[in-house]
Amino acid sequence: MTVPTAVLQSGILPEGLDVSFKLLPAIIVLGMLLLFLAIGFVFRVADTENMWVAGRSIGNVENGMAIGANWMSAASYLGMASLIALSGFYGLAFVVGWTTGYFILLIFMAAQLRRFGKYTAPDFVGDRFNSDGARAIAAVTTFLIGFVYAIGQARGMGLVGLYIFGDIGIPGLSGYQSMVVFMMAITVGYLTISGMLGATKNMAVQYVILIVAFLVGLLLTGLSQGYSTVLPQLEYGMLISELSSEFSEPFVNEPYYLWIATCFSLVVGTCGLPHVLVRFYTVESERTARWSTVWGLFFICLLYWSAPAFAAFGTDLYAQNIGQVYPGGGEPGMTSAAGDVIVVLAAQLANLPQWLVGLVAAGGIAAAIATTAGLFIAGSSAISHDIYTNIINPEATQRQQVLVGRLSIIALGVITTLAALDPAAPIAALVSYAFSLAGAVLFPMFFLGMWWENTNRPGALAGMSTGLIIWTIPMINEVLPNYLGGVEGPFSDALATWVPAIGSALIAVPVVFAVTIAVSLVTDEPDMETKRVVRQCHSPEPMGQHRTAEDVVATDGGDAPADD
Amino acid sequence: MANETTDPDDDDEAPLASDGGVATQAAQDHERTDYLSSEVNLLNPSTPFMRDHLKIVWTGFVIWAVVVFGPVTLTRLAPGVMTTEMPVLGFPLHYFLVAFGAPTGALILSLWYARKRDALDEKYGIDHATVEEASDEPVAAADGGVTSEGGVDE
Repeated sequence: MTVPTAVLQSGILPEGLDVSFKLLPAIIVLGMLLLFLAIGFVFRVADTENMWVAGRSIGNVENGMAIGANWMSAASYLGMASLIALSGFYGLAFVVGWTTGYFILLIFMAAQLRRFGKYTAPDFVGDRFNSDGARAIAAVTTFLIGFVYAIGQARGMGLVGLYIFGDIGIPGLSGYQSMVVFMMAITVGYLTISGMLGATKNMAVQYVILIVAFLVGLLLTGLSQGYSTVLPQLEYGMLISELSSEFSEPFVNEPYYLWIATCFSLVVGTCGLPHVLVRFYTVESERTARWSTVWGLFFICLLYWSAPAFAAFGTDLYAQNIGQVYPGGGEPGMTSAAGDVIVVLAAQLANLPQWLVGLVAAGGIAAAIATTAGLFIAGSSAISHDIYTNIINPEATQRQQVLVGRLSIIALGVITTLAALDPAAPIAALVSYAFSLAGAVLFPMFFLGMWWENTNRPGALAGMSTGLIIWTIPMINEVLPNYLGGVEGPFSDALATWVPAIGSALIAVPVVFAVTIAVSLVTDEPDMETKRVVRQCHSPEPMGQHRTAEDVVATDGGDAPADD
Repeated sequence: MANETTDPDDDDEAPLASDGGVATQAAQDHERTDYLSSEVNLLNPSTPFMRDHLKIVWTGFVIWAVVVFGPVTLTRLAPGVMTTEMPVLGFPLHYFLVAFGAPTGALILSLWYARKRDALDEKYGIDHATVEEASDEPVAAADGGVTSEGGVDE
């Protein structure tokens, strides 16, 4: 994305938003945070099984809601409407990529991963390819994903928090930066107390809060302004012809290739994101894994059908009340920071009561906190479980593991906060970098590892390294210049056109597949034990709730060859 | 109706023994298959179950690819036709197919797949309920709710 970095001072939000301390919205947000902490405290945990997979006891609809809450980050709640408002038809690539990817996850991976039965994404990679090297690359990738993804969340919390609390004035920081620090401190505090069981229970609550806030906000905005009656998700169609042509005309803002690249990256990223995959370990059976995916997608669609409507209303209200939305004729148009709060802005400009605008804003914060929680859990378990316990200190006690887990959550919180003080791109763009990474490095390993038993260790190592390199090049080309003073990015326009940072997985995935397959073919096949574990993942025979494919292979191994 | 053997539709309540007595061809195949000795290869399924399963998977995948990338590609090829305003709803056609059609299509496909997969389990005589260990109340309730929905015949 080439949207300019926003000016991070008091003028960051548009005039119409009225940045100041607001009592009722503040009470709503603080009450919500206290509720999360209370739930986290009630379900607090001290052992690893509960910390990471909630004792594998979560049922269907609850897990569906958790998938929804975990999924719907600030990028869905705030960033998507923002991109649709700012980039028009191109923004819809996000709507499509972030919903339809679940079908691929469902048909190719959900039940198989449940049967494999490992705690984390790095655990899968490490055990499937019998390699601590692969485990370490996957763990570092998981950590990186959590970090890049969470920057977008922190930006969302900072912007919305600024609207609600005004400038809380931490010395040396701008209002936005103070709010980022404040909100991240709360998120980390809550997470270190509660762990995953609390997080899963919280996610169902968070889902309800955020979906109600979003839908009620949309409904009342549409009603009060005469845009729509009971189904704004379909009624905003009538409004489109009245908006600037940039809103709906195809490929005026971004070309077809970038649309496809973005959408593809988001789809494969969905299938490789550790914090999404871990939700399948928390269910009781593979059948529940399947049905909770369907439920999860339904819960997600409720918001994704609505976001374009919010964008349309927000765009029209912005044009009527503040100024022109798209740059042209010497006018700059809407800034990316204004875009990132367009959902709140629309509710504000529609003159909804202040507490209701506050509720919409609180929904955005709930979305950001829920996702950050999932990401930090995945990132910290990568450090504590995969790197510390499996590689550095195999003798670690549960106490030590939980301690390392908590310390890595704090570390993630600190570096995310620092990076979010001056973020390089709008929320949705930041988040999509993480999707490209997951799609390029982890998705091919899950897919090939599950569906082709001859994928082996050298193949996986070569493939993952290739994926990391292909992801890093456009990041250096396009994103790094934003953090360097006085450098105009991107370094290479041709590279930015064909391997865009936002959609680099379109190139990376086929290349990584080819490298992994080629290297696997020219090196030794994996041992029979590994192949049998893969086969067990595809057997339709039901497995016990607490068994993994490895257990089954180990216990049934002796009598299996007697078949012929 | 004249057939007096067990009706396959009412096997919900039937005891396991009767099920075993009238096991379908597919269920017998399943009994005989040693899954741990059958190669896993996406392009070359080695068991009857995986052949049946992959038929569903690939069908779904092709429809998915058309739903997701079809409208945007058509818009690139024939922008005039695709940007026509739709009657009643007022959307430009491409905008509606992408913003509403694709997510809805994926949701419907997911529902379709989960049901197909349940039907496949039934065809092969696989029962998840008997193996799952006793779980606590709320989980059982949630699962029960879905069983009734997912268990509907095609």
